[in-house]
Amino acid sequence: MTYVADPMASILSGYAPIEGVYDELVDATGRVRAHWRPFINALEHLGLQELAHRADGVARRLRESGVYYRAYDRDADQAWPLSATPVLISADDWRVIEAGVVQRAQLMEATLRDVYGPRTLVSNGDIPAAIVTGSPDFLRPMSGKPPVDNRYLYFYAVDLGRAPDGRWWVLNDRTQAPSGAGYALGNRIALARTLPETMHDLDVQRLAGFFQAFRAMLTGRSAPDSAGVCLLTPGPYNETYYEHAYLARYLGFLLVEGEDLAVRNGAVFLRTVAGLKKIDMLLRRLDADFADPLELNPGSQLGAPGLAHAARAGTVSFANALGSGLVESRALMSFWPRLAQRLLGEDLLLPNIATWWCGDDAARDVVRARLDDLAIAPAFTTERGGLFHWGATRTAELSPQDRAALLARMERRGGDFVGQELVTLSSSPVMTSQGFEPRPFQLRVFAAATEDGWVVMPGGFCRVSSRSDPLAINIQRGGMSADAWVLADGPLVYRSLLPAANTVEIRRAVGALTTRTAENMFWLGRYLERADACLRLVRALATRAGERDPEAVAVTDRLCALMETWGAIAEGDAEERSAGEAAAEAMQATDMFGAPPVLVRRALHAASAIRDMLSPDAWRMIKGLDRQLFEPMDGTVAETLDRAERALRELAAFSGYAHENMTRSTGWAILDIGRRVERGLAVTRYTAHFGLGDAGPSALDALLELGDSQITYARRYFVTASPAAVADLLIFDEDNPRSCAFQAEHLRALLDQLPESAHSDAANVLRRSVVLLEATMASRSPGDVDIAFTDELDAAFLHVATSFSALYLADHADTP
Amino acid sequence: MKYRIRMISSTHYDTSAPLGSHVLRVRPRTSANQRVNAFAVEIEPPPAEIAEGMDFFGIATQTFAIEKPHETFVFRVTAEVETNASPPAADTPSPAWEDVRRQAWADADGTTASPAHFLFPSRIVSLDDAITEYAAHSFPPGRAILAALGDLMRRIHADFVYDVDATDVTTTPVAAFAARRGVCQDFAQVMIAGLRGLGLPAAYVSGFLRTTPPPGKPRLEGADAMHAWVSAWCGPELGWIDFDPTNAMLPGDSHITIGAGRDYADVAPEIGVIVTYGKQALEVAVDVSPLD
Repeated sequence: MTYVADPMASILSGYAPIEGVYDELVDATGRVRAHWRPFINALEHLGLQELAHRADGVARRLRESGVYYRAYDRDADQAWPLSATPVLISADDWRVIEAGVVQRAQLMEATLRDVYGPRTLVSNGDIPAAIVTGSPDFLRPMSGKPPVDNRYLYFYAVDLGRAPDGRWWVLNDRTQAPSGAGYALGNRIALARTLPETMHDLDVQRLAGFFQAFRAMLTGRSAPDSAGVCLLTPGPYNETYYEHAYLARYLGFLLVEGEDLAVRNGAVFLRTVAGLKKIDMLLRRLDADFADPLELNPGSQLGAPGLAHAARAGTVSFANALGSGLVESRALMSFWPRLAQRLLGEDLLLPNIATWWCGDDAARDVVRARLDDLAIAPAFTTERGGLFHWGATRTAELSPQDRAALLARMERRGGDFVGQELVTLSSSPVMTSQGFEPRPFQLRVFAAATEDGWVVMPGGFCRVSSRSDPLAINIQRGGMSADAWVLADGPLVYRSLLPAANTVEIRRAVGALTTRTAENMFWLGRYLERADACLRLVRALATRAGERDPEAVAVTDRLCALMETWGAIAEGDAEERSAGEAAAEAMQATDMFGAPPVLVRRALHAASAIRDMLSPDAWRMIKGLDRQLFEPMDGTVAETLDRAERALRELAAFSGYAHENMTRSTGWAILDIGRRVERGLAVTRYTAHFGLGDAGPSALDALLELGDSQITYARRYFVTASPAAVADLLIFDEDNPRSCAFQAEHLRALLDQLPESAHSDAANVLRRSVVLLEATMASRSPGDVDIAFTDELDAAFLHVATSFSALYLADHADTP
Repeated sequence: MKYRIRMISSTHYDTSAPLGSHVLRVRPRTSANQRVNAFAVEIEPPPAEIAEGMDFFGIATQTFAIEKPHETFVFRVTAEVETNASPPAADTPSPAWEDVRRQAWADADGTTASPAHFLFPSRIVSLDDAITEYAAHSFPPGRAILAALGDLMRRIHADFVYDVDATDVTTTPVAAFAARRGVCQDFAQVMIAGLRGLGLPAAYVSGFLRTTPPPGKPRLEGADAMHAWVSAWCGPELGWIDFDPTNAMLPGDSHITIGAGRDYADVAPEIGVIVTYGKQALEVAVDVSPLD
């Protein structure tokens, strides 16, 4: 049966709710629900065509907001597809949800305090011991030592679904390291740009106040002389890493990885280029088991040894505490009503899915009797031990063999399983090419602890099914996301995350620079500059392809030789490979460590580890360069030349961008040190190949071209190139931004900007390396540049780089 | 029996390690039938401080950091221990194994000794259908738990080859079971995987064996290294009973216990996190001699 939703709403014509499902938009009589009417009217006013046009921009806006999603099986970044229409939640519904979520957060907290503390729930018989011990998130080293203030949870998320009777039900609890709040924020920003007037007219509740309250809670518990609140991430290979980076930037927290942390005498420190800085509050997005290889998962390379001890000693708080994941267990679902009574003296305000834990013989008998009506799922948070490879499964869909195997396993180890009532979700409109269609969804709601109790984010992250099947169990795969608009029933108070003007402290340098970030900055600079140097060789070769003149051939032979030395092309016989072929080979090589595509890919890897330090524009530039260099090519000379020139232009654009738009922070200085060292090395090596002794006009021309100095030279001398004049320009001229002298001068200035180090020996070595570089340059005049000199200069630049690394990037066994 | 235990473990790194963090679990436990009269650990290079502690399962730990560059890490343990442990008599009555299983899953204790900690897969011991089916042959319906456990222990001893070259500390019970060979760790972990697959609680015990047998008795396997065996929960009356599948015997006063955990990962004598590149070479020597 097709409902005509509202005679006036022609954009809804053909909208047909799914049989037996609660529809958010229209009621059982086919009328648009009251809280949707202003929204539908607004869409009607816009028209379908305009809406479709705006919807096309949603993906782009989402990308601009910087929240990306990385699927594990792909290397590419993917935007999470976002529905152009939100799910509207009425003020009445929201009051129910808000109260229920606050209560549930309190219940989770109280349960954790008991289970890691006095264990009265177990000894009183409220829950069997196996409910606790079966969870892989029951972290025994954390037992008996409560966290700071006996607080386990700072952030909580819960997945809700609305049943056909209109009630909201809890599907899952998330307490380990709940994800999605950053996506919700990104979705909101993207949708606010898609439907700005509509959102404003509807009095949609804003999200900023929630994040502000959360930030205040964490920063309020971090001492002023510490490194500040740090967000601990597993790193760029995690599927929600972009959310971590996004939230860190939005909340003004430093994004750190386990490598950045050092534990000394039971306290946690941040390893920075200025030495160790104390950390007392970590917003944890790393699963707790991976936090400490010494006491938790010994195979983890993502944490830091000693973190569990520091947490027990109370020198650091984790938000959420190590071990908080315990209360995510499905097995606990069947006990929450009783625990709510026991711990809070209240009934659950939001019911959760009816669940039977099969470790109890009576419950197992119920499940066996109703097997085909239920879903069977692992009792604890994760699948484990190969015992159960189905995940949550509708028993009716199992093959006869799997069904028999399941029954046999339930007989021996019932406690590994729960039976759960199948949940039918409600649906909300999604725009398709056929107009609006109802799609089932579930809503993730977030709550944050504050000093005055729990606050709930007025909004959420909706996961919308790509099909019309309303069973919650089937929503896991595919699908899209939607913003949730919580409608206010009174006037809105606007709050932005930016503090009021009179409370802003003027801070110049934001946060500390971690050793790991410094290392990635350094290598980003080096790889990009090295790629630039190599692309210049490629361009010089490609423009000389087909030359027959012996002097020109001698130049191309040398270009090839230099590319071989740099590892840009395989070593080979010059006779067998033309200049054009060699140039094309370098542009296509993906396994040569010195080839431009490989160098840019390494730069991209370095950049991806420091996403929070780079602006979206800077990131896009590097990403675009990488994409361009990995596009397939035919390998013609014209194409090679074109691609090399384009890449050089993009590198120049990045340099210009970094020069004009990046704050002159320590991070910037280190990026520039990397570039200066590489440029000094490249020019020295160009000179060694093309500028020594009896270099002829062709070689000197090539050298000026590689050194980007033809125009300066021509304007200065008006004559054919001479070795001494070229050497002066490329090595000794402090005004030429490509010269070695220019690099040396800048290196000294940049190193002066870096924080002082406590490691006086290594600091002296670095100081002396710059003096040595300058002394090397001063020891010769342009007239007597020879191979011994270029070798010395080469070594002097390298010595600066290794001394810098030894001082600022090495692992010092120091104490604060 | 009184014993003197000497253990020396040295690890050599290919390249110098700037710092290392370590936890040792080498101190024999004190219990109703085991007493530690002397105990000392020596570490090279010496750490600034050694923190003595006790983990969740009641095993004594020494935690320390070495904060200077080093190529070799050595720890030496000496201990004097007195034990009068004896296995239960062969005719001890015991409940049917299914009753034990039911009681374990309903356990409301939750303390360290609760069988509920030892019912589930753990870091190294996952559950495996093949091992569970193997174990099931010893557990026909209604069989007394002690008889079933003894039968499984003897079958593993008979079916598996003791072979020090076949496995290492990271070998999973699944791999050891497929090869039907290994050392004490593998024998114990296969038995544990089988018991847990049937829904029964089983723990991994780490300890020492006397090196030279009493006159007229055969030398036990694993006597020149650290040893491991199984402890199985046999209901609230009998509690935890030990089984040594490597030697097909119920441990008595030849076995000295350090402690019990869910598998090797819980009781490893040394866990270290070091920053180094290249390989490490480990050598361990153990000697357990009777005193007087």
